[in-house]
Amino acid sequence: MMPRHRHQSDASWSAFARQTFGQGLWLVRFASMLVPACQRDEWMAEWAAELFHRIDALDVAGLLDWPARWNVFVRCAGALAHALSVRFADSRQNMLIQDIQYAVRTNLRRPAFSLVVIATLALGIGATSAMFSIVDAILIRPLPYERSSELVSVYGAIATAGAATDRTYISPPDYLDYREQSSAFAAFAARTAFGTAVLAGQHGDAPERVSIPFVSANFFSTLGVKPIIGRGFLPSEEDGNGHDVVVLSHGLWQRRFNGDRGVVGATVLLDGERRTVIGVMSPTIERTFPDQMWRPFIFHIEESSHRRAHMLRGIARLKPGVSIEQARANVDGIAHRLAAIYPEDASWHLALVPYRDIVVGNVGPALLLLLGAVALVLLIACGNVASLMLARATTRESELAVRVALGASRTQIVWQLLTETLLLGVAAGAVGLAIAALFVRVVHAVAGGILPRLSEVGINANAVFFTFALSLVTGLVFGIAPAVLASRQSLAGAMRSLGRTSAGGRHLRVRDVLVVAQVALSLVLLLGAGLMLRSLWMVEHVELGFEPRHVMTGQVTLPRTYQTRVDVERFWDTFLARVRARPGVQLAAGATALPLRGGSDTRYHLDGHASDADADGLLAQIDIVTDDYFSALRIPLVAGRVLGPVDRAGGSEEAGHGSIAINRSMAARLFPNGNAVGKRIVLDFGQPFSGEIVGVVADVHTFGQDVGAPDIVYVSSHQVAGNFDGRIMNLVVRTKGDAAVLAAPIRAALTELERTVPFSDVATMERLLGDSTAGTWFRARLLAGFALVALILAAIGLYGVLAYAVTQRTREIGVRIALGARRGAVMQLILVRGLTLVGAGLVLGVGAGLLTTRLLDRMLFGVSTTDPAVFAAVIGVLALTALAACLLPAWRATRVDPITALRAE
Amino acid sequence: MTAPRKPLSPTRLAVLKAIAQNVRYGFDIMDATQLPSGTVYPILGWLERTTLVRSRWEAIALAQRDKRPPRRYYEVTATGARALAVSIDHYRALSAAGGLGLAKPRRA
Repeated sequence: MMPRHRHQSDASWSAFARQTFGQGLWLVRFASMLVPACQRDEWMAEWAAELFHRIDALDVAGLLDWPARWNVFVRCAGALAHALSVRFADSRQNMLIQDIQYAVRTNLRRPAFSLVVIATLALGIGATSAMFSIVDAILIRPLPYERSSELVSVYGAIATAGAATDRTYISPPDYLDYREQSSAFAAFAARTAFGTAVLAGQHGDAPERVSIPFVSANFFSTLGVKPIIGRGFLPSEEDGNGHDVVVLSHGLWQRRFNGDRGVVGATVLLDGERRTVIGVMSPTIERTFPDQMWRPFIFHIEESSHRRAHMLRGIARLKPGVSIEQARANVDGIAHRLAAIYPEDASWHLALVPYRDIVVGNVGPALLLLLGAVALVLLIACGNVASLMLARATTRESELAVRVALGASRTQIVWQLLTETLLLGVAAGAVGLAIAALFVRVVHAVAGGILPRLSEVGINANAVFFTFALSLVTGLVFGIAPAVLASRQSLAGAMRSLGRTSAGGRHLRVRDVLVVAQVALSLVLLLGAGLMLRSLWMVEHVELGFEPRHVMTGQVTLPRTYQTRVDVERFWDTFLARVRARPGVQLAAGATALPLRGGSDTRYHLDGHASDADADGLLAQIDIVTDDYFSALRIPLVAGRVLGPVDRAGGSEEAGHGSIAINRSMAARLFPNGNAVGKRIVLDFGQPFSGEIVGVVADVHTFGQDVGAPDIVYVSSHQVAGNFDGRIMNLVVRTKGDAAVLAAPIRAALTELERTVPFSDVATMERLLGDSTAGTWFRARLLAGFALVALILAAIGLYGVLAYAVTQRTREIGVRIALGARRGAVMQLILVRGLTLVGAGLVLGVGAGLLTTRLLDRMLFGVSTTDPAVFAAVIGVLALTALAACLLPAWRATRVDPITALRAE
Repeated sequence: MTAPRKPLSPTRLAVLKAIAQNVRYGFDIMDATQLPSGTVYPILGWLERTTLVRSRWEAIALAQRDKRPPRRYYEVTATGARALAVSIDHYRALSAAGGLGLAKPRRA
């Protein structure tokens, strides 16, 4: 009698327990495939029940930690031995143990062979496990928040006749309306994307610029994070009662306040104003938000009441069971209602994106691609090992023949050979795990800032489990064909005389197929790597529109005491003069936006066009610059003149008009007939600002080298500052020598002038450039590394097959030479054979490459996925490597001594 | 079936003894004997085939009341009890005769 019961975990368990149960059960179920079908249900029921009780007992007692979990897994792995003992209970009660013992002895008898196999596979398994744990942590595991799949990012979106943008901001009144009216959101929070302040130094610390966005009171509760001490914001603090409270991030609390629990209730100086710390937030939130402090957003005041002042980003939690499509329909409905009430904002609505997609960003395809690439490497490694096993199987024919003669069945021979390969696979898995740990450590060291969620990447139970399964599968993949072939051969071998080894023709044919596949696969990898490297070359040789060498940059944030544009202007005049006076400085300038540092957009329209609707609103980046900006960055002038001291007169923000410069492609688009100079465009600076184009300058790649140049409107700092937060500006210094050494003198110049102003984000322009391509370099290096390993493995495989063929054909070659064959002809014999295999592999590889490189499309810049130069180069490299691998065996064939070869028979 | 004449191997004896001491479930036997699952379960299978132990399933009603799956438990048969006694006598005699010569007795 056997009770039927569904194998499921208990609802009251912890997530950890449920996970342990699920994975343990998977192992047991895997093993159960070996159990005869008539006994399987009962067998599963017993294991599942035991597993359930163990985990239940541990979980209830609170003893289920990592060692306990490991212990459970080890027991579940033992189910495999149990399953085998059930399977072979009748015929071979102790055969399994004998098989394993025999397999261990066989493998130990040839330590070099075993080591080569284990090392080859361990490399493949290690790299694959490491890539898996990266993919697992970043793409598969949920975000650190409770029920994180319910979280969605909410953006403002405009649909206009021209360009639709769906990643912009929400205005505070809109936000309040949606928050009130939406029936799809369980909670809807908002956070400003901007917000920095200068935190005054205490106890002699230097002042520091911290990121401190404004958030709605429900921001933390929407995410489901709680303060570790103190409290979060109260709804009443949104209404202006909370202008003086702040919440600290865990990181800042640890670093700046040494984790002092007494900080709650203490006062800090932010931008010179006193704020009370009311709490310290759990560190969880810092995994996805770069914030260091938070302050409440104050609604219902004049500054927050403009429906056109888009400044908030939303994050919402969907009600349980509500899909994102339903939520979209819901907010679209509200957008329609709002459009009826506020027709001037009719084109604005909300865009919802799963929060996970925002956090993970665009690394998903690249990571999956790398995982695929590394799996190909593993496959090639399996091919090599299978080839080695086949070669060895021929030399073991006599041993197998003896076993057959003594009554071993074919199943038993296959089983025996499989046990040997599985053992090698598992050993390789163990070594591979160590390699994976090393690999992950290297990734941690080099991928900072490139991969999201990097702190969560590590070798954990999932990775161990994956590696174990992978090594079993690997053992099967490279073992099954040789084992079956060898067993088939051994029947024939038994008939022959025991002392002689046969030609093993079938083995060679299978090995030929393996080599062709290896060449094809490595060609695919090399093509991918080649395209990435070519794309990087293109990126690094983009015409930047400025000269990055010998440029030092840093950000200066002035306190609120600098209220007017004149104050700011006076500061910069003095500051720049002092910087210029430092030795080594050639030119110094300031700008609100820098190449590779991004900037903020403003709407504008052509002079003479109506501006009442969004429809003809165009967006351009605004850069407020001081006099020497263009010469400091060496941005070439295309037409007209650059902004300079002459602009001290001739217009101002308050007057509503002034001088501007724009970039070349913007000028070409707006004024296709040329002659942009002298025309006017009207910028939306809160109030209209009519700018006369006095100059056109070269395009500058502001958002990184692999993104097209944006439209930029340059205005003079003599004329505009106020609404654009002119208090935060970047310093640009062109130096005579090494730029990096000037950081300290410049900081000193600043401190002399204003003791409390921080000099932040200090970096040379060259480093900013390097950072902007770091992600591409990371991917390209990994892919190139994998491709190189693949190339070496394929070459070894090719060499192995040919060398073996020469050994097998020694006698034939001896006869040919004895009969007068020239050395060249003998060499040709082997070379033709090798190059035929390579040729077949290349043809297959190019076909596969044309299909797979398409996956790279979105990661390439300036290179087509079928770039003929890359294809030709890669084929050339592979063909040359293959030729090198063929030459040695071919040369050895010509050295065959006919007399020795014939005498050996 | 009568009890085997030959004494049980030490691991089989350990498992049988644990069951005789009322350790009834697979995972608990592993705890009691300190043997891995890959050893204990095949031994349980062997002991059952040689009728030294028999296994039963707990009543489903009992399990359902506690909202858990029913477990399989093992108990020693009369044959098993005799085999246990025979083996214990054997090892005791062996030990009295100086054991397997593995341990060096230090105590007087």
